[in-house]
Amino acid sequence: MGFAENIKETLITKIQKNLNRNYIEKMLDIVGSWPVLPVYGMTFASKSDKYLNIATIRNIKKAYSKKYPVAYGSIFLPYELMHSLGLVPFLPEVMAGFTAGLGITDKTLKEASSRWYTPDLCTFHRSALGAVELDLFPLPQFLICSSLACDAAQKTFYIDAKKYNIEDNFYLIDVPYKKTSDSIKYLASQLEDISASIIKKMGKQLDMNKFRDTLRLSNEFRYWALKVNDIRKELLIYPKYFNGLNYILPFHSLAGTKDAVVIYKNIYFELKDFLEMQKESAGDKKSSSNIKGKQKAGKVKRILWLHLKPYYKNDIFEILESNNYRVVFEEISQVYWPELDEEKPFESLALKMLSHPLNGSAENRVAAILEMVTSYKIDGVILFSHWGCRHSNGSARIIKDTLRNNNISTLILDGDCLNKNNSSEGQILTRIQGFMEIINSKQN
Amino acid sequence: MTKTEIQLTNISNYFSNSLKTTKDARPRIGWLCTYTPEEIILSGGFTPTRIFGEDRVNKAEGYFPTNFCPYLKSSWESILNDVSKLGAIVFTNSCDGMRRLYDICKTYRPETPSFMLDVPRINTDASLEHFSNNLFELTNFLGELKKSEIEFDTLKKSIELVNKKRILLKKLDHFYSKFDGLIDNSDYFEILKLSMISEPGIFIQDLRIYLEKIAEESKTLGIIDENENDSFPPRVMIIGNFINESKLWESFKELNCKIASTDLCNSSRYYEGLVEDIENSFKNNTVENLLGAIATRYLKKPQCMRMANLGIKLKEVKENITNNNIKGIIFFSMKFCDTTLLFYPLLRQYLSEIGVQSLFLEIEHNNFSEGQVKTRIQAFLEIL
Repeated sequence: MGFAENIKETLITKIQKNLNRNYIEKMLDIVGSWPVLPVYGMTFASKSDKYLNIATIRNIKKAYSKKYPVAYGSIFLPYELMHSLGLVPFLPEVMAGFTAGLGITDKTLKEASSRWYTPDLCTFHRSALGAVELDLFPLPQFLICSSLACDAAQKTFYIDAKKYNIEDNFYLIDVPYKKTSDSIKYLASQLEDISASIIKKMGKQLDMNKFRDTLRLSNEFRYWALKVNDIRKELLIYPKYFNGLNYILPFHSLAGTKDAVVIYKNIYFELKDFLEMQKESAGDKKSSSNIKGKQKAGKVKRILWLHLKPYYKNDIFEILESNNYRVVFEEISQVYWPELDEEKPFESLALKMLSHPLNGSAENRVAAILEMVTSYKIDGVILFSHWGCRHSNGSARIIKDTLRNNNISTLILDGDCLNKNNSSEGQILTRIQGFMEIINSKQN
Repeated sequence: MTKTEIQLTNISNYFSNSLKTTKDARPRIGWLCTYTPEEIILSGGFTPTRIFGEDRVNKAEGYFPTNFCPYLKSSWESILNDVSKLGAIVFTNSCDGMRRLYDICKTYRPETPSFMLDVPRINTDASLEHFSNNLFELTNFLGELKKSEIEFDTLKKSIELVNKKRILLKKLDHFYSKFDGLIDNSDYFEILKLSMISEPGIFIQDLRIYLEKIAEESKTLGIIDENENDSFPPRVMIIGNFINESKLWESFKELNCKIASTDLCNSSRYYEGLVEDIENSFKNNTVENLLGAIATRYLKKPQCMRMANLGIKLKEVKENITNNNIKGIIFFSMKFCDTTLLFYPLLRQYLSEIGVQSLFLEIEHNNFSEGQVKTRIQAFLEIL
């Protein structure tokens, strides 16, 4: 176990033993302080991981610090709005993923069950509800969620608002089903009204310059994210531990901040180096020893990953890689929105939301998947079918049939992103092996 | 053989004409959610026919994951079996499950035209305008099917007709909930069911005659004293999503349990609230104005748990409890319905704050475990 892993393990054990908000705050204070944080950052094997971890800790620490107004936000919000309003975002669903990483999901889920949240519900939301009930999350001043993709977030955010006795500070952004000029107008008006209401409650005035700055940073982040995605069209050899599914937090909640720009700029330069190494190794067999991964680029089969992954310790990606399969792209890494117009912040953010492939008809998602399949020369697609996600799993049949018609093998992998007791490790392994055999036999 | 037959055991002679309209060759359009405006479907010359999803799931299983709304799965089975010979189906953007059913229907049954009606989750001036625009798109969809535009007079008549139906169903509910033993639980729910699949004009005639007879009978019975605290059987309220289980309603009768109020997708949430302010709308004589009035009714009716502000739903429940002197609440949720499953813990906490007992029952669709549910209701009634 390396130094970084050691620190992580120690932190996890301490938090598990002292499960309360104040202790988490204390731990974040220590880890997030200077010079501990930069030193901690240096322990990571790759630049991408370093910047991801530093920014994550710094932003979570901010949310726990009690120095800034915190707003809970659901995953697909345009976070540029929060940053423009001076709110510190905290994402309960994403933090539920952290509960799995911290090994405390058993406790959060048990708490949720004791409060009548049945096991049939999505574990992201159950775990987040349990964490709220256990007073593990920072106190919010506002709760903002959207109806994009998922029904459960809207409900759980209202429940949280009730728990904190701030129902008046609960906002639902009602995202229309289709992208039309009318629906952009409707959505933009909501974003403007919500901004006006929040800023009034904060005793401030809307600062349109701040909106412009945030949107400019968001566009800069988008520019680097697109460059990263472009490189990944060819890249088969990645830095150690790189997994695109780990970047949900910066990709969403840091959009519009300098942190997101720094993270994605660094990922780009790191992946660019790896691509050069990959090209060198293809031309010169001797230099292949410089590459850290176990893979040889020429033999690697390309996988597109749909939905999310298990956030507890698991071997899925190691199994794939040890068999020369590489997840070359993830559905959630797609830059789906056009450049934002700094002069029209609300319309731009409305358009961003409405451009999301998970909004509206499954046709949008299928079209995006087909585009990714072509761009990334995909050999096979894995849809991780997270327990209780009606939105994603309800489209599985259509996705599978469409990909079959395009001669792409698809694996619908049943499991649970958070609750390892609800995922059968053996079954997952068997199914992945079967899937790889199908792809191998097709290519042979 | 499916279960779609209406089982009006005691009163079928009153509704024979309505029953005929459910089987004849008239053009029908299917709907699933109470946010679907029947008046607009009617104005297009179609009979709005609710899809009850009463077919046992067989083929449909392969289209959806195991843990998916059983009502929607059964509905897909019914659509595949073409039970009601539907000319088209109007879906609503009500929940994740419904959106996926629409996708499945569009992909695997393209021969049945389908329309997705986007229903907002908030009630503001902007959402009303957005909803009105979406209703206008629905009129275009129906106009294309009919090959002629929907006109002001036709829509106006349809609004009046559906309003009449709502008024009579409200009256039916009055006799059902305020008089003990006057209307059977099963009959009440079967009449409601019939109201959702038969031709409204004929149904109104049948229901009117039936209610006249009921009104006569009610004179011989005393109205229940709602203020009597120790009334027996205890007055319970049923809350839930789409609960269409005749055996369940019979169980309540056998247990001598008085259903004093219901808040279900196939009861009050269907008929409560009228399209109002139509006089003002009529002055301008435009379809758009009528659509605005319709949009208002649907966003203001007793709300489904899908809507954003659950505080309004809690308020509605509280009003029901107060107005009907409710002693206990039985909350039914169909399995895998996120919106109801996530509402119950909130409701339960609220009820405990105001001192009202509640029972939570999670049930399957078309696979009702009679004995188990009956035992739990019985135990709950003993507590009350």
